[in-house]
Amino acid sequence: MRRAVTRYDAVVIGGGHNGLVCAAYLARAGRKVLVLERRERVGGAAMTEEVFPGFRFSVFSYVVSLLRPEIIRDLELPRHGLHILPLESTLTPLENGDYLAQWNDHDQNRRELARHSLRDAEAYDEFGRVLHHMARAIKPMLAMAPPDPTSLHPGELASLLQLRRYFKDLGAERFHALHKLLTMSVADYLDEWFETEALKATKSASGIIGTLLGPRSPGTAYVLLHHYMGELDGVFRAWGFAKGGNGSVSAAIAAAASAHGAEIRTSTAVSNVLIKNGKARGVVLESGEEIEGEVVVSGADPRRTFLSLVGEKHLPSELVESIRRFRFRGSSAKVNLALGELPNFTCLPGRGPHLRGAVSISPSVEYLERAYDDAKYGEISRRPYMDIVIPSMIDPSMAPPGKHVMSIFVQYAPYHLNGGWTDAKREALGDAVVDTLSQYAPNLKGAILHRQVVTPADIERIVGLSEGNIFQGELTLQQMFFLRPAPAWSKYRTPVAGLFQCGSGTHPGGGVMGASGRNAAFAILGAGA
Amino acid sequence: MSSRAIVIGGGVNSLVAAHMLSRSHEVILCEGDSPEDGLGWVPPQIARALRLEGLKIEAPDPWAVAPLPGGGRLELWRDVARSAESIRRVSPPDAQKWPQFCTRMARLARFLEKAYLEPPPDPLGVRFALRARLLGRQGLVDLMRLLPMSVAELLDDWFENDTLKGLLGAAGVMHLQQGPRSGGTAFRFLHHHVGSPPGVFRPPRSNLHDILKKRSGIEVRKQPVRSIRVEAGRAAGVVLAGGEELPASRVLSGAHPRRTLLELVDPAWLDPELVRGLRHLRERPVAARVTLQLDRAPGFSALVHAPSLDYLERAYDDSKYGRISQRPHIEAYCDAQHRVEAHVQYVPPGTDTPALGDLVAAVLSDQLGDAVIESLEVAQPQQPHQVELSLDQALWMRPLPQLAHYRTPIQGLWLCGAAMHPGGAIAGAAGYNCARVALANRT
Repeated sequence: MRRAVTRYDAVVIGGGHNGLVCAAYLARAGRKVLVLERRERVGGAAMTEEVFPGFRFSVFSYVVSLLRPEIIRDLELPRHGLHILPLESTLTPLENGDYLAQWNDHDQNRRELARHSLRDAEAYDEFGRVLHHMARAIKPMLAMAPPDPTSLHPGELASLLQLRRYFKDLGAERFHALHKLLTMSVADYLDEWFETEALKATKSASGIIGTLLGPRSPGTAYVLLHHYMGELDGVFRAWGFAKGGNGSVSAAIAAAASAHGAEIRTSTAVSNVLIKNGKARGVVLESGEEIEGEVVVSGADPRRTFLSLVGEKHLPSELVESIRRFRFRGSSAKVNLALGELPNFTCLPGRGPHLRGAVSISPSVEYLERAYDDAKYGEISRRPYMDIVIPSMIDPSMAPPGKHVMSIFVQYAPYHLNGGWTDAKREALGDAVVDTLSQYAPNLKGAILHRQVVTPADIERIVGLSEGNIFQGELTLQQMFFLRPAPAWSKYRTPVAGLFQCGSGTHPGGGVMGASGRNAAFAILGAGA
Repeated sequence: MSSRAIVIGGGVNSLVAAHMLSRSHEVILCEGDSPEDGLGWVPPQIARALRLEGLKIEAPDPWAVAPLPGGGRLELWRDVARSAESIRRVSPPDAQKWPQFCTRMARLARFLEKAYLEPPPDPLGVRFALRARLLGRQGLVDLMRLLPMSVAELLDDWFENDTLKGLLGAAGVMHLQQGPRSGGTAFRFLHHHVGSPPGVFRPPRSNLHDILKKRSGIEVRKQPVRSIRVEAGRAAGVVLAGGEELPASRVLSGAHPRRTLLELVDPAWLDPELVRGLRHLRERPVAARVTLQLDRAPGFSALVHAPSLDYLERAYDDSKYGRISQRPHIEAYCDAQHRVEAHVQYVPPGTDTPALGDLVAAVLSDQLGDAVIESLEVAQPQQPHQVELSLDQALWMRPLPQLAHYRTPIQGLWLCGAAMHPGGAIAGAAGYNCARVALANRT
């Protein structure tokens, strides 16, 4: 029997959320699209899995906040099953037995802060306003292909002038505030505002996520802003939890893509991009099968896309050099626990509303800095930073009745560990996490039914993110905007005609945001494909 | 009287400003305490403007030597090829990259050099954009990528040898409360390259401060200033510590901006936002100076003890928690009289420093051999930049955007210290720029 050769308008490599977003937008514009996913299900790092019978986990990525609202709207994601439940609070247990809680409710939050510092309670609203304004100021840049300041192309010059006018219109004060945010350390930045250690530490944690930098290193303040860009239902700052886990985010995007006619093939690994006469013609699967496409879009990270799927021989040496220098240095791990009972925090005993929010193990900036000290010399943090949620409290379908799942984001667990990652090291990481957390919730050890530890090496192996970096490359200033992933190739294009990039290794990158996928789709459609 | 100017401070920037003004004004310099290490490139523009005579620049060759772990020393010379030969003995690949590295860094340093001898550029201005374009594509990419980066990343991109990377990396953290893995330290590395020939990554020393102190043409009062008098929003003169009032139409202060605006002036003159900004300026002194007397020549004139980037990083770690580095970064300069001036980092202020001489002698014991050592002096940690030179406090942000052009909200009062653009290690440039702004401003 002869198989009909189907020719696609676009073949998307990788069914991560950005690949799916890109595919959905292309399909919506009437293109014939095929998404190829190596694993048996789509979602990449945004996926839900029943790791232990009855216990479902967002194995990797675990909260939603950055997903662009225009994507939710354009793709009608709620209609396709996306349901986001808000996280109400962040609890930071302290080493002295007290705690600091941050609540979404303004007055409750103010009362709690005032308990620690009247000054901080006063400063908090102003801080929120400033960051909110900054986030708004930078927001239009998320949806724009970053102009290349080194180019002399008239189109580029025009968009540079436009950008310049935009900055001028911001006014000097905001421009300078933005400069500070881009160049300061998150610890120094917060020192200008607050005095409560736990507040500074918990806020500064967002600046170190996904990087191998400590909170005192310049360049960490900017990511604070990313976290103020989350705008669920129009409320800045709110973090949410997707009903059914983060896999349901991917599932909703996939459903939207399918509804627009995109095809999705899982368990289909791509071996390389098919290149003829310097132009991408399709892909070659690991099975040997060739699939033709007018354009090929890679959702893989820049290292995988250029050095493995394309290959050096098709690329200018300058780009190869840039990609080699692009830094990944994964530093985050996940510990997923199946619990027989809820953790009982000494500082706030019982089943209170705080268990429906996040718990942050970040008692002081020095605590985070010491966690970093271990990692920069290639060791697991002995006392790591953790961001914890108990999804079963918000969505009971995640665990059997009366039982719970706990998701623990851990930093630092460096990819480049001395002696490399082994099963013993993985368990040592799990032990460090459980031991540290047990100091604040002594019943935890006895409550654990199952434990899953996901190291950066596991993330690389399972999801395919180089060095396990959750952002497809560190989000540092020298790897952002027109430098993400490489100068001249930051606009989703590549030196290979017909080959595009759509992963978070491109601008603006990072988090379950989807902006890269969406921008890439517009770049492809704009190119007339 | 209207042509009288008062300059506060006895540092090199105040002296340059005072002598620049003295060509058209009667100038009184009110000196406080101002130790200077003589470190810093002297821009030829300043030498020309002041018609400096007797200026001596110490430019040791090799400009740095570093002990190698297996014995012997890595020597870096003012001649690029000669350094490459020296590097080849420890790493042929590094030696091969050295000339290109030197060329690329020199191009970026020249860009900063131009921006350093005038008031800070307008980042959104056409002039700045055009000048940046002149770097060419590669240069512009290098610049934008390099500025926010850590010096460790920069050096890891190029080199493999630890001794070489430690020696170079130390330039990125000199007088900075950061380790080589912190962002923004590559900028500091470039800053210390400004004015030096390709392949030389330490500023030279000069006698600029000494010759300016001896120079005539200005009146010097050896008294600190108690306050600056402000009348109707204008600077009207100063009051000395002894109570004497000196009226003047222009006051240039080389004192720390916080001291100038919050202590010498009644802060009621200032906008609360500016007061807040001044309170938040970071300075964090991190390096002490130790002077040792040896009884014989140690066989080096400029020695860098920073065996690797990790060594520097660990030295920094101690200081993060308020301790003196157990194994500090040391730069030792030896003169013809076998006197060794050692820069010791990290030494947080307020720590117990008397034993530093012994620490230096212990760390450098292999290099000092059997020489008999006498510890002469330990100087407390100082921040020669006054205000930490980091990307958020550099260029148009230095020390604060509202003050970046040397002007203050008080008419007739200017700031001329190292806290101003371009900061320390560029000898007298802040004073030179400030004087030019003050002279252009008609009062």
